[in-house]
Amino acid sequence: MTPTPGQSNRPVRPRLRTRTVSIAAALTAFTVFAAREVGFDPSTFWEVWSNPLWEKFWPIPWDWVFDSGNVLQPFVETFQIATISTILGCGLALPVSFAMSSLTAPNRPTYLVSRAVMNVVRAVPDLFWAKLMVTAIGIGAFAGSWALTIFSLAVMVKLFSETVDGADPGPLEAARAAGGRHAPALRTGILPTVFPDYVAHSLYVFELNVRASVVLGLVGAGGIGRVLEAQRQFFRFDRVLGMLVIIFVVVWIIEQVSVSLRKRLI
Amino acid sequence: MTATTRRPAAPRGARERRWTVALVIVVAMVWSVSGLNVTLDRLLGAPGDAWAILRQMVPPAFARVHERGAVGKVFESVYIAWIGTVIGALLSLPLAFLAAHNVAPVWIRVPIRQLFNAIRAVPELILAVILIPITGLGPWAGTLAIGIHSIGTLGKWATESIESIDSGPIEAVESTGGRWVSNMRWAVFPQVMSTISSYWLFRFEINVRASAVLGMIGAGGVGSELVSHLVFRDFPAASAVLVLTVGVVLTIDTISAAVRRRIITGSVGKSEPSRSAEALSDLTGIKQR
Amino acid sequence: MIRLEDLSVTYPGGVEALRGIDLTIDDGEFVVVVGLSGAGKSTLLRVLNGLVTATSGSVVVDGTQVVGASPATLRQVRSRIGMIFQTFNLVNRTSVLNNVLMGRLSVVPAWRSTLGLWPAEDREAAMVALERVGIVDKAYVRASNLSGGQQQRVGIARALAQEPRLMLADEPVAALDPVTSRQVMGDLQKINRELGITTLVNLHFLDLAKEYGRRLIGLRDGEMVFDGDIADVTDETFRDIYGRSITDEDLLAMGDSPADGTEDV
Repeated sequence: MTPTPGQSNRPVRPRLRTRTVSIAAALTAFTVFAAREVGFDPSTFWEVWSNPLWEKFWPIPWDWVFDSGNVLQPFVETFQIATISTILGCGLALPVSFAMSSLTAPNRPTYLVSRAVMNVVRAVPDLFWAKLMVTAIGIGAFAGSWALTIFSLAVMVKLFSETVDGADPGPLEAARAAGGRHAPALRTGILPTVFPDYVAHSLYVFELNVRASVVLGLVGAGGIGRVLEAQRQFFRFDRVLGMLVIIFVVVWIIEQVSVSLRKRLI
Repeated sequence: MTATTRRPAAPRGARERRWTVALVIVVAMVWSVSGLNVTLDRLLGAPGDAWAILRQMVPPAFARVHERGAVGKVFESVYIAWIGTVIGALLSLPLAFLAAHNVAPVWIRVPIRQLFNAIRAVPELILAVILIPITGLGPWAGTLAIGIHSIGTLGKWATESIESIDSGPIEAVESTGGRWVSNMRWAVFPQVMSTISSYWLFRFEINVRASAVLGMIGAGGVGSELVSHLVFRDFPAASAVLVLTVGVVLTIDTISAAVRRRIITGSVGKSEPSRSAEALSDLTGIKQR
Repeated sequence: MIRLEDLSVTYPGGVEALRGIDLTIDDGEFVVVVGLSGAGKSTLLRVLNGLVTATSGSVVVDGTQVVGASPATLRQVRSRIGMIFQTFNLVNRTSVLNNVLMGRLSVVPAWRSTLGLWPAEDREAAMVALERVGIVDKAYVRASNLSGGQQQRVGIARALAQEPRLMLADEPVAALDPVTSRQVMGDLQKINRELGITTLVNLHFLDLAKEYGRRLIGLRDGEMVFDGDIADVTDETFRDIYGRSITDEDLLAMGDSPADGTEDV
């Protein structure tokens, strides 16, 4: 306990482990390779400011933006897509989520199959679904609604089945002990405790859908994105910018309303 | 048992409320559907159309899309997601130190937080729409779009993990007369680095999906393959591309989730699983109770 | 030398932590500060290195006025003051040596320390500090893998690495068991004697205060109610400072078995 300063029992500085070094080297190599593959070009960062195309973004033609036929009409369509797909997707998600939770699944095969299917469905990006639907049933909001319904279902079952997983199993056991059949037992034993979360998750999915439905039109699935895509192809970036401003204001307002509703629910 | 005690009446209003909610939902549905140009035969025809296409999708034409270089395109999506994540990570990290309320003064952290919020509000696709005229079509546009968008979420998550650290070491470095930069590097950085790097990986998983989508508007990656096959109604090829994409997405998810678990548990010596759950709840905006 | 004149600290929210403190501490003294929690012990230590800003009055450390000093001056003052904390305040996820090297941050150029390119003489200073507290063999171990007593010694080594003229210890043993507490107090005493570093220690345990202190300062509700040689301290003094009888909880010897009576020292 009373050592004197000196070169006595100093430990040797540990060398970096070969594994650490090789992982770092591999990651660096991969990053360099990937950067070349994507055409990494840092000059964009400074040349972007002198790009003559910027002039095309300005000034914003507000007259055109506020002309109801140009933006308002498709915007309403966007909401209609978001609303119907939230209702359908979240409605379907209720039984599927119960099938996907180990607590409430009626049997093991149902549990495994529903999980596997939903994982695959979620692995397909939302706009891929939109494009598939557009191809299958034609351009327009109808296809977009189908795509977003699937997307809502995939997101909702993930969120809600986790809520069900975490629910108190006590009431469910009580309902089963009383001899209840599966569905009624769920109805009385689990649903009341998780229902506020269900509504809150649904509102959240609606927010996601409003955002997603804005870009659906880029692949022909209706809504405001259709106008965005058209103006983009005519190189009317001033109009594009004007629409974006409106979109963000509206999306922001919806989020604020939905967030405050969700806070009151949970 | 005789009913001599007075039983309470069922509370009024619950029924009425239920019916009101049901009515609102029905009205919302009718209003929505009215705007979708749905005719009865379209509605009835849709499942049939979808089924017809689904049948053409089996079996997927792997050999044909392989010849066209679809595998390379899938990898291009992965490269875009990776470099986008790297850009987002490198730019968001220093900003996060300037945005955390326990280490940054108010005049700098408020504007940076607003910057994160603004960036998060713009989807990658919209960023790509703005960027393509500047950078031209191709993977670099998608990479930039993903990189910029990632700054928003990664910055927010990193800020939150900095705000949740133990403030003792900060005080200790302050008491030795260290500068702010030294304090960040030696008191804060070691505490947050493992959490933040697991966030980076998590964002990479999300970005792989995002970059696949970006290809659909010409910003590089596998999306363009899918679009061109679908436009020409070459469904076996389209389904092959789809299967490849889903396979890669699921593989990356699995590997990345395993690595994240290791980063989080390995660095503390004890399990700390709540972090990745937190990351998910950050992403979804829903706080787990 | 430290000189406090009419020093008062009022926290935002109106809590008066210190009121009208006048105090002079000469070089090389070993001062123990006692008082109930909330009496202002921690605040007293922290105004000395400017971690807490005085509301009024003057704090002069080695000829430099701390109250109202510029950030650069403050860093200068702090670089000569080591501080040890109740909760050690180590970075658990990095090595012991890195923790001790933090004591060198004020003298190493920021770019070098940021990149981890510590100069050889600073590494040497950190190693010497670790040797002085007897845990140099743990230099490359992760700080979280040490016991509480070892962690506090890393804390002391970090302060020593600053090559300080003044050492502040804020309840250094409050989180430790009795045996380790004595070892840590012994380390502090040895450092004071061998290196002549002025030392201020906040303590809760009265028997430790009597055992290790040479000069005792008593704080009660933000005011200094005692200042004198430890030899003049009686149970009466402690009762005055605490405003109540002394209980077993106030003694290290009994501290780990909570009080059932009001036994005097």
